[in-house]
Amino acid sequence: MRSRVLVAALAVVALGVVAATASASGQRAQANKLTVWLQVDAQSGWPDVVAAATSAFQKQHPGWTVDVQYQNWGDHLQKFDATLAGGNSPDVIEMGNTEMAKYMFAGAFANLTADKSKFDNSGNWLAGLQKSAMYQGKVFGVPYYAGSRVVTYRTDMFKSAGIAKLPTSLAQFQADAKKLAAKYRKVKGFSPLYFAGEDWYFAMSFVFDYGGTIARTHAGKWVGALDSPKAIAGLTAWKNLFLASSKASKTTDENTPAPYDVYSQGRASAIIGPGWFSCCTGAKYKGVTAQFVMPSHTAGKAIPGFLGGSDLAVPVTSSNKAMAEDWIAAFTSTENEKALEAKGNIPNATNLLGTSVNERAAARSWFVPVAKHWVDVENGNILRNMLGQILTGHLTVKQAAQSASDNITSVLNQP
Amino acid sequence: MSGRLPTALGIAAETATGRSRRRRLGARRLGAGAVPYLLILPVVGVMGAILGYPMVNLFRISLQRYGLFELIQRHGVDVGLANFRSVLHDAVFWHTLLRTVVFTVANVGLTVVLGTLLALLLVRVSAWVRILLTAGLVLVWSMPQVVAVQVWKWMTNFQNGVLNYVLTELHVGDFFQHDWYASPFSQLSLVTALIVWEGLPFVAITVYAALSQVPKELVEAAEIDGAPGWKVFRDVTVPIITPVLLILTSLSILWDFGVFTQPYLLIGQPHVTPSNYLMGIYLFQQYYTADFGRGAAISVLMLVMVAAMSVVYVRRMVRIGEVDA
Amino acid sequence: MSSRVLRRNLWNTVGVILFVVMVFPVFWMISTAFKPEDQVNSFTPTWFSTRPTLQHFRDALAKPFFWQDVKNSVIVVLVTVGIAMVLAFLAAVALAKYRFSGRKIFIVLVIGVQMLPGAGLIIPLYVMLARWHQVNTLTGLILVYLTGALPFSVWTLRGFVLGIPKDLEEAAMVDGSTRLGAFVKILLPLVAPGLVATSIFAFITSWNEYIFARILLNDGAKQTITVWLSYFLGTSRNTDWGALMAASTLTAIPVVVFFLLVQRKIAFGLTAGAVRG
Repeated sequence: MRSRVLVAALAVVALGVVAATASASGQRAQANKLTVWLQVDAQSGWPDVVAAATSAFQKQHPGWTVDVQYQNWGDHLQKFDATLAGGNSPDVIEMGNTEMAKYMFAGAFANLTADKSKFDNSGNWLAGLQKSAMYQGKVFGVPYYAGSRVVTYRTDMFKSAGIAKLPTSLAQFQADAKKLAAKYRKVKGFSPLYFAGEDWYFAMSFVFDYGGTIARTHAGKWVGALDSPKAIAGLTAWKNLFLASSKASKTTDENTPAPYDVYSQGRASAIIGPGWFSCCTGAKYKGVTAQFVMPSHTAGKAIPGFLGGSDLAVPVTSSNKAMAEDWIAAFTSTENEKALEAKGNIPNATNLLGTSVNERAAARSWFVPVAKHWVDVENGNILRNMLGQILTGHLTVKQAAQSASDNITSVLNQP
Repeated sequence: MSGRLPTALGIAAETATGRSRRRRLGARRLGAGAVPYLLILPVVGVMGAILGYPMVNLFRISLQRYGLFELIQRHGVDVGLANFRSVLHDAVFWHTLLRTVVFTVANVGLTVVLGTLLALLLVRVSAWVRILLTAGLVLVWSMPQVVAVQVWKWMTNFQNGVLNYVLTELHVGDFFQHDWYASPFSQLSLVTALIVWEGLPFVAITVYAALSQVPKELVEAAEIDGAPGWKVFRDVTVPIITPVLLILTSLSILWDFGVFTQPYLLIGQPHVTPSNYLMGIYLFQQYYTADFGRGAAISVLMLVMVAAMSVVYVRRMVRIGEVDA
Repeated sequence: MSSRVLRRNLWNTVGVILFVVMVFPVFWMISTAFKPEDQVNSFTPTWFSTRPTLQHFRDALAKPFFWQDVKNSVIVVLVTVGIAMVLAFLAAVALAKYRFSGRKIFIVLVIGVQMLPGAGLIIPLYVMLARWHQVNTLTGLILVYLTGALPFSVWTLRGFVLGIPKDLEEAAMVDGSTRLGAFVKILLPLVAPGLVATSIFAFITSWNEYIFARILLNDGAKQTITVWLSYFLGTSRNTDWGALMAASTLTAIPVVVFFLLVQRKIAFGLTAGAVRG
């Protein structure tokens, strides 16, 4: 009995020693090492592009190693905060464009303005992305890639519902939706155009389409603008579209369930989402799936789409700023951006834009207010709640917009 | 009725002789005075070395304005009790506190009661069913939290969740595309179901282990005296498993009060709003918005609250130990 | 006699029904891991796939660092549990069987530490570990996990030690061994079920811990299996549910194995009929 305990204790100690030695070897700080944080999307989507950038960088700087560590969207900022406090932040970090503002305001990133010419096509960066990476006229990030929203639809369903050509205005789309609803009324839970009730990216497009905005500055302070007549008109148009064409839940967001799952079940003839949605529409409908740009209420124009995307920044605590810039330059080179484009992303400069549906949708875009506390508006789910209240009928459009607007004003004006 | 007296006398007798025997050993115990300190030294050492600085740091930051800017500068600005004042004047804090208390009571109650019932069931079934159930408990226990949440999210999916399907098929009602996440009550009920489900294995297996400490002889003696089953349970079993039950309850309270992962992931970050905040999430939101000073203040307040709640309880726990020691 | 058999059958039926209901989510996870892609998200659920596939497992194992991360998790967890059980048992004996001044303070400390909200400690712990050069090391993670495992282990084991009837303990002291020697020789086997239950809990909590592992470990080769698992969910694109379920099934296996190895120590005195229903 005792010997068994002794053996077990020895085993534990042995393992402990193994663990200690296993980790001790990694402790000596390596000279000439660049640490890069990219999101998992790069690991699974375009690892070859990453590898190309690293080898180009190493050709330029022999003797340097690049350690690319992949992060998750859910917790990478928490980890970043910890490294900022602990003093071992990466040299390059990928940030979501809506995440940049807070960190720029806090002085987390190095000023790249002087070296802007290092980066390919920096004179033609997409407006939506560039805006997210600049503060007080200085550049703190390099646009990496973007994504916009398009309509993915069933060509066969549209055809059999008698829709001869694709809608070029919102009104026309609504009429088409009516035809689809009538034709497929027998299908349980069918949505002519499926989009989630609290998909605020889509809903805000309507606000901007009608000439409204989310918030503007006035005399140095932020003022929520969703209660303006134009914004309310946009929200009303959105509400009408939802009630007529979407059987999605009024209170869930665009992630659960994934719209392409609904599509692949045959319960939607069209869905709203990023261009890459076409990957996951199911084998059954692969041949009858195509995309078009969501039309504006003004005939012939595209509705302004939200330009989501990422920027690359250099934390101010990095001791390898010049090297970091070189790596970023290699990663966002024209060649690499073209490779990203081939994978279905929107490249970071207007002169690189092609004619895919995805890229045409990016022609008219909107971006969130570049405010220090915008992230808090998002995290506080102010917009999502507003949309849910409108759709469930708890509040009128005007009331909900008013309340959200007041909320936004107070959050954005926090010190 | 008749079985109770001998048992009670028996326990009293044991305690009496025990006490007198201990007095004889008293002299030897003085010499063993250093022993208990040596026994607890490793634990105190490890905890102190690792948590000492962070705890001091937490208290210090709660008295500072410490946001992202200060984090990068590695220097906070002292603001005294401003963070505490801000939190205590925040209506959201009080609503969240009330909601969390109710939530904790429900969760702990269900977990401990159902877990104990499960342990008792384990005793009464045949060996093959016991193995089946124990295997099931371990499978449930071994699911990583993140995964369990995803599976539950999926099962309660609005569009094609299995739960809606089964309920409709069993004619419990028409649950086609029922949105389980529509109201805070519904959301938190789902979270409760998940947490209780995840907590059952630990409680059931621990209580089952405790039940194994009930000596055969005592039980047989009581039964020979003709006491019915439930009396045997109450007079013999319960006193022995009470310490374990109290411990499980106290642990559950500590965990469920500050629970974060399950509600945050199940409800989903986009739907976490002041109307369904729990303390764990409320605290996390401060860190998410990089208001570390305020977050630290809330941590300190939570610590104080749980400590206050536990004072009476801990005193009872220590006293139980006293009777035996 | 027959009423007893009837009662036993009734309990057995209840037990089986409970098993089905309780294990359903686990079953769902495992069955999904074997379903072909179109059945994974289908509108009407497929209970048992008629065309099971191993593709998801292949996809899961293809994700880098799986085996290294399993090894890391095993090392971290076994060391944590091993050290925690030894230290906690000693402290539990001290708490339950000795009277010493400062005992109450120690109890308050043990309980109090568990009340510390984890979120508040992440950054200070990271800063401290960085100072000791223990970031991105397994030892750093083990130290963090110990602080989580020790308090409740001490607390739970104390309960088990208290539950041991006095006469067994007194019997040992009569033959002249020191009090501590008696405790270890006599108590250890008696507390074995409690030790096993507590160690299982420490094992599972450490095995499934995510946030500290994520924040402390950087290299793919150093991370634990929970971090590896999180990569399936961390993208902004669609989640590969089949692969995620397959990956989750894989990460759950070591826990089941550990349990199978230690379960014989739990409470199987009950089969000898110690407590009759």
